Amino acid sequence: MVRAVHYLNQFFAGLGGEEAAETPPTRLEGPVGPGRGLAAELEGIEIVATLACGDDYFGEREEDALARLLELLERERPDLLVAGPAFGSGRYGFACARFARLATEQLGIPVLAAMHEENPGVAAAEGKVLIAATAVNVAGMREALPRMARLAEALAAGRELGPPAEEGYLPRGFRRNRRAEASGAERALDLLLDKLGGETRSEVAGGFDGVEPPPPVADLSTALLALVTEAGCVPQGNPDRLPTIRAQRWLRYELGSAQTLAPDRYESVHGGFDVTLANEDPNRLVPLDTVSALAAEGRIGRIHDVFYTTTGNGTPVAAATSFGQEIAAELRDAGVQAVLLSGT
Amino acid sequence: MVWELASFPAGLMGEPPELEGVRVDLVRGGEPVRITHVLDAVEPRIRPDGRAAFPTEGKAGQGRTNRLDGVVVLPCLDFPAEERPLHEQESVIDLSGPGAELTPFAADTNVVLTFSTREGPGNEELEAWARVTTLMVAEDLARPTLDAEPEQVERFELGPADAGLPSVAALVQLSDLGPLYYQYLYGVPVGRAGLPRAVDPAELLDGAVTCGEYHWAALRNPTIVFQRSALVRTLYREHGRRLRFAGLVLMRGYEQTAEDKQRAAAAAAEAAVELGADGAIVTTDAGGNSHTDVMLTVRACERAGVGTTAIVAEMADPDAVGSGLTDWVPEADSIVSVGNAEELVPAWTPERVIGGDTLLDGTPAAGAGPIPLRNYLGATNQTGQHALTATTW
Repeated sequence: MVRAVHYLNQFFAGLGGEEAAETPPTRLEGPVGPGRGLAAELEGIEIVATLACGDDYFGEREEDALARLLELLERERPDLLVAGPAFGSGRYGFACARFARLATEQLGIPVLAAMHEENPGVAAAEGKVLIAATAVNVAGMREALPRMARLAEALAAGRELGPPAEEGYLPRGFRRNRRAEASGAERALDLLLDKLGGETRSEVAGGFDGVEPPPPVADLSTALLALVTEAGCVPQGNPDRLPTIRAQRWLRYELGSAQTLAPDRYESVHGGFDVTLANEDPNRLVPLDTVSALAAEGRIGRIHDVFYTTTGNGTPVAAATSFGQEIAAELRDAGVQAVLLSGT
Repeated sequence: MVWELASFPAGLMGEPPELEGVRVDLVRGGEPVRITHVLDAVEPRIRPDGRAAFPTEGKAGQGRTNRLDGVVVLPCLDFPAEERPLHEQESVIDLSGPGAELTPFAADTNVVLTFSTREGPGNEELEAWARVTTLMVAEDLARPTLDAEPEQVERFELGPADAGLPSVAALVQLSDLGPLYYQYLYGVPVGRAGLPRAVDPAELLDGAVTCGEYHWAALRNPTIVFQRSALVRTLYREHGRRLRFAGLVLMRGYEQTAEDKQRAAAAAAEAAVELGADGAIVTTDAGGNSHTDVMLTVRACERAGVGTTAIVAEMADPDAVGSGLTDWVPEADSIVSVGNAEELVPAWTPERVIGGDTLLDGTPAAGAGPIPLRNYLGATNQTGQHALTATTW
């Protein structure tokens, strides 16, 4: 029998309404409230305990609440956590998502939440929690419970899920392939003719993170400036084997007192552009010669004595984002005030 | 201008010529075969009037051309050295197994030419040998059609069409990123072919554009994609029904500076305006900064009053949530996704491997485990040749 723990807020756990919203994390034996209906639907899964927390308590003391809930959860030696259904209730949905996400990250167990697609808990889950789709209010309970049960069973069995609409869960944001009814060319023509007719549709949404340019460096003549590049610039021979494509890491190299990147000491291993000119003079990628000259003239304060490099070629956005965060954290700790980031 | 394309059955195929340094294998869709290091895919063609099937002079898309239906010539070459500046990307075709339905050539008679390599000639010299030989073999294989009756003759001609129908142009991007990453227009790398340039759409279908570009296999456009262009054929078919086919603009991808990218995008938009297009379908070749060229072209067209739909592949990490687009502009509000090239194709063990036993990443081709879709030739073709798409899970 798979051991499941069920998470509810104070109201659905029968502890009271708004007046009980300050209830701290609490353990109840077996299934409670909607958990009874869920237990009746589940095959091969037993709800061994119910954990409940007041919506206000969670909202006001999230860190404490999560720590205590995780402690209570761990004691149950669970195989699975199920949270909700929270329907359209924002505070409850948020708590379900946060707890479920922590549980899967910390304990490595599969987790399932349930809520309406517009519940803020969906965004809080960031694709890390499988969420069963429900109606916006409790009238959808009868429909929600069997759907949750089927998804919980799939998770417990490790079954590969089908498309969201077929299985009844909310899309998590993964882009998966499927065969379309018509060729891309036919679909493009349909989209274009509809657009010219006034109805615009798209098979993929755009909308990237916009990075606002920061304000200019107030006084460059006193600033510590660092050189960062995604141009694949490395010491000759690529001693740390930076990949030419799809790099999974960044590297840091000492510049010491060098004022230029000599072609016999540096090269680019980037696999996405013609590196001939870059290798004739590596300063074309990482302009150490120019910034050193500017520093000598007093127009730049100092040059940071290490530079950062990776290969920005076929890099997943998520990986690139974490490279940026990690490099920025080191630069901040080193007191760097300005960065010259050369891209290719 | 009228062009006729006459189709002949695969059974008419001639004997592949014996060539020094080239091994020839004939394999059919459904066989337990994996083909590796595939450079290009070419449909056998020949012209009854004696002009070249893949011309380097004159004009394609006139008179008549014969084709062998369901035959593909696949040159394979494992370049001997990792040679700067650019190197080719892996390119696989499976004739059965889970990759077969994603590989658009798996149902055909495949004439696989494996080019043996030796130390000495550089990558560019080897590439030119393989590319020219492949086109020659493709022409030779179609030679028996000259004495046969076609099964079907298609006529490509843009007659008058109702002026009330929307006028639609195709803006087809071709790559020029340097050695091993060239596409050719009449035998000239497209960077030196004066793009953007409006051509008769039949020229594209008739061998004017050939591929010498070995970027990500799923995202690149092998020669057959132009010969059999679903986009151009669809626009011909719908001319006079749902639209007026305004024409075809070839434009370059991989412009190398921001200024050149902006300039090229504006010039492509201007070419679409000159064709009188109300709307344009913008296609992509390969990926990375060519996606930026597409997005800038979309923006330039929209600003010039030409509505656009772009065709792109996505490259989204299978385990990460979020956009699979490499670049995007707000004007790109109508996009066809031809699939996520980063999805893994389940492991499959072929009984036979042709083209080279070791993949470029060093894994044995017969036991490679799951392979990213981007390594399957043509799988997410960005001219819209196939029916794959991606949806949000």
